[in-house]
Amino acid sequence: MEKIVELKNLTKEYHKLRAIDNLSFEVRKGEILGLLGPNGSGKSTTINCLLSLLHFQKGSIQIFGKEMMPDSYDIKSKIGVIFQDVAVFEELTVFDNVDYFCGLYISSKNERKKYVEEAISFVGLQDFKKFYPKQLSGGLLRRLNIACGIAHKPELIFFDEPTVAVDPQSRNNILEGIKALREKGASIVYTTHYMEEVEILCDRIIILDKGKILAQGTPDELKALANIEEKITVEVNDLEKELIEKIERFKYVLDVRYLENRLVIVYKKGQNNLEELMDFFKKNHVVYNKIFSERPTLNDVFLELTGKELRD
Amino acid sequence: MFWHNFKYSCKVLFRNKVLLFWTFLFPILLGTFFKMAFSDIEKNESLSIINLAIIQSEDFIQNEVMHESLLSLSKEGENQLFDISYVNNSEAQDLLSKEEISGYLDFFGDEVRIVVNRSGIYETIIRFVIDEIQSQKKLIETLIQKRVNEEIEKGNYEVEIGNILREVKENVLSQSVTLVNSSSKNMSYTMIEYYTLIAMACLYSSMISMYITNYKLANMKSVGKRIVVSPSHKISGLFGSLFASYFVGAIGLVLLFLYSIFALKVDYGTTLFPVIILASVGLLAGILFGVSVSVLVRSSEQTKTGVLVAISMFGSFLSGMMGITMKYMIDTNVPILNLINPVAMITDGLYSLYYYESFSQFTFNIVSLLCFSVFMILLSFRGLRRQKYDSL
Repeated sequence: MEKIVELKNLTKEYHKLRAIDNLSFEVRKGEILGLLGPNGSGKSTTINCLLSLLHFQKGSIQIFGKEMMPDSYDIKSKIGVIFQDVAVFEELTVFDNVDYFCGLYISSKNERKKYVEEAISFVGLQDFKKFYPKQLSGGLLRRLNIACGIAHKPELIFFDEPTVAVDPQSRNNILEGIKALREKGASIVYTTHYMEEVEILCDRIIILDKGKILAQGTPDELKALANIEEKITVEVNDLEKELIEKIERFKYVLDVRYLENRLVIVYKKGQNNLEELMDFFKKNHVVYNKIFSERPTLNDVFLELTGKELRD
Repeated sequence: MFWHNFKYSCKVLFRNKVLLFWTFLFPILLGTFFKMAFSDIEKNESLSIINLAIIQSEDFIQNEVMHESLLSLSKEGENQLFDISYVNNSEAQDLLSKEEISGYLDFFGDEVRIVVNRSGIYETIIRFVIDEIQSQKKLIETLIQKRVNEEIEKGNYEVEIGNILREVKENVLSQSVTLVNSSSKNMSYTMIEYYTLIAMACLYSSMISMYITNYKLANMKSVGKRIVVSPSHKISGLFGSLFASYFVGAIGLVLLFLYSIFALKVDYGTTLFPVIILASVGLLAGILFGVSVSVLVRSSEQTKTGVLVAISMFGSFLSGMMGITMKYMIDTNVPILNLINPVAMITDGLYSLYYYESFSQFTFNIVSLLCFSVFMILLSFRGLRRQKYDSL
């Protein structure tokens, strides 16, 4: 598959602190690549280096097969960026903001007008065209931020945590919008520290921590890496310690936690784990309220890889 | 791209009420304040005729230069400076004690004694005028002596002293008339303040350009990041914003001129056109100064504003806006400072319109401001070219 972005051995230091450590990855045409990591893991720094905003000490960046430089205007014309901070003029209306940023890419007035209208409709701000940013809610402001970044129909779009501090309804709109952009052929780099977003959205995921890649692959590949097959959760009152120790000795059990009347059992692999557990409870006369089995999440992967929760 | 940037920069600037206040309203308010504060002072000064007494004596009548000069300065008309009473010694003292006169003159031989009760502005003027006439008298004597010597050197021993005396006297009297005319040509306090106001408005325009340029910088605003990652050429984008800043600043100056001429009745006389030219170039220098500070000072908006205000204030201080002695000291000891000081370039240019007959000093200041502007824009372009940051 065609490589849209190719990043090799990128190293970026702030004074003596290494923010990105020998990072290499690629973005393929038409995919959504998720950069996942906690705050300070180097996601935004990576994006800023890719966009030639930041100096870096080592490495090379190629976008659309050409080296990315501050004056690579031909490359920049095909890129759209949605920054983490809302990047709009407070003094301009919704329409004027989108028109201004679109005008930096599209010089034809008629073509631009069409693009601007489309972008405003795309993010659902048709009724707010004459509103000023301070008159918009947080969610609508994020949508305006997106409209400003995509109005010129870029081939490669960087989304840098676009859903931070956004209500669930707006978040769903944004995620649906990103999927629609991919459907239209755009390649997307999406950074976030929300696991559920990358699980829903991304074709491939890179997990970053302290500027290094911890793991990368499709969501299923990553889950396989975690060596976890199944997780069973049981709501049960006053479970005796002796019984918990017996469960820990089950053949495929990796970890058992019992907190606040909630028993969580993590299995490496194995079949019929749920059936085996229910039989065990029956034999030992354990009464439980609720029992369910689930596949491991990316959060479990992150926990397995780093020993810490993603939002720590 | 230029017009796109120009249009939206104008929209951004015209929507910023704080900036509009400082650009449009503040100079007008300050001008109104100057008018209220200084117009009465000038009115009183220009209309006041100083009451002066002279003790009648043979010595006064013999002192032809003094006699003629004081007669000329007490003639009724536009240039009348003194209202002279001819009195005896006791009458003079009586008038002075009742404060009906500001002072009296007592002649003995070639000397004149000036008697005043206090040291106010009128007393100072009397002293100044008498000193001036005395020095003119000495000049006459020197000139007569010189002319007589010249005639003798030529071998003309029958010198007609009467002719020489008449010639020199006419010369001196015409010089004393020149003295009166030139003092009326000097700038009034109000005009100095209005010129200061124009220079200040030019410098304040740096705030406009700094504000709009900050939007173009990735390390200042998120909008800047978005602009920097776009394919829009930085220099053409900057030019659009720069012209918008100039346009907004120019509107501010036009409003200031219109208000000062029509509402405050400031009379720029024949200097209006050169003042407008100098203000236009000063505005350009101010705009480009703001751009340079915005690009070169890699710090917060507050720090940049602080730098602009500090440099403007220091420049104003050195150029004599807060006391003309400082300007004299700098011009005498460190002239290079005021040659590179944009405030001095503007104020010197404005003052030169009054102090010099020719436009050479004015032209020099215009050229200096243009050189300063070119230097500022080259610095800014160099700072922007292929710019990357260490952190954002």
